Amino acid sequence: MATSHFLRRLHLYLALSLLPWFFMYGVSSIPFSHNQYFQRLDEAKGVPLWTKRFERSYEASVPEGSELRAFGAKVIQDLGLEPGGFGAYRQNPSQVNVYIYSFLKSTQVKYFLDQKKVVVEDRRFRWDHFLTGMHAQGGFEQESFLWDLWGVLVDVVCLGMLGWIVTGIYMWWKLPATRIWGWLALSGGIVSFGYFVARL
Amino acid sequence: MYLALFLTPWVLMYMASTFVMNHRDWFRGRPAPPPKFELERELTYNGEFPQGAEAKQIAQQILAGLEMDGAFGVQKRGDGTLLINRQDLVSPRRITYTPPDKKLTVERVVFENGAFLERFHRRRGFQQDNAIDDTWAFTVDLFIAAVMFWALSGLWMWWEMKVTRKLGALCLLAGIGLFALFLVVL
Repeated sequence: MATSHFLRRLHLYLALSLLPWFFMYGVSSIPFSHNQYFQRLDEAKGVPLWTKRFERSYEASVPEGSELRAFGAKVIQDLGLEPGGFGAYRQNPSQVNVYIYSFLKSTQVKYFLDQKKVVVEDRRFRWDHFLTGMHAQGGFEQESFLWDLWGVLVDVVCLGMLGWIVTGIYMWWKLPATRIWGWLALSGGIVSFGYFVARL
Repeated sequence: MYLALFLTPWVLMYMASTFVMNHRDWFRGRPAPPPKFELERELTYNGEFPQGAEAKQIAQQILAGLEMDGAFGVQKRGDGTLLINRQDLVSPRRITYTPPDKKLTVERVVFENGAFLERFHRRRGFQQDNAIDDTWAFTVDLFIAAVMFWALSGLWMWWEMKVTRKLGALCLLAGIGLFALFLVVL
């Protein structure tokens, strides 16, 4: 009885604490799942996504290979841009892009190696990008305590999901009247899921 | 409850894949290395393509000829070479077709747990012309609806249990506060 009570309370309080994350992952999955619809909706407005903030000459040596974080940090510092989460990627042999982002806004720096110039652009706020940006954020990629803390919370959400499964199955098992239908639902889910794994 | 039991494998998959993506360093390295391919077969493709056929149409014909119909993406290089990525959760394949010698090379991605889970997590909707992909996309939508329903019904069930209201409200407010803080500072 004590275990059952503890698990019920754990299930409840963990869910309540993590509710904003649960909502966010749920709502933000909609633009991921229907991205073409949201893209068409936005294109119909006819407003450009990126707006140029400035353009100027710039020269820096780009390291070979795909590890460009140090280069990205230098560009952000040299140009006096607001720090945030960032990533640097080689767009093509003569262009490196540095993306600087927060949950609410994004900036990109395009560095053209052969022209020795940078173009800095700001992205217009879009609800679907805001949601998918939050959804995709994680992973201890930034050298920042707050971003790492967000990554820790993503882990907590994962543990929370595992906790809900375990406590949920336990609570179902404690209701003998629901066992037959429960077994049918659970095995139906496992079989359907297995079918998708085999066919997709 | 029955919906939750039915969707248990989906919850487990999204949970495990999120954890793997959150710790890509541990599971795949950073940056994640490009996929490794192993040669499956090489053959000459003798089929003819309709005049002016687009890359997608050619890819569809090639895949049908190989009995590998299904979700795919296609890219045409400047030299005319066609790169077809046949999506598959377990064994994605890359098919390269070079028109001058009509050669087809079929390569399979070497299986790796972390990459498999990421593929699963990212597989979503209504972008392919086949029923199985649409059905999967429908289950993803069902999962989203279920998540929202669980959240709302959980709130209602909590509110019905008067004894848990105070501590519950504290947990809820703490969660909202922390989330709002991140929204402002990140």
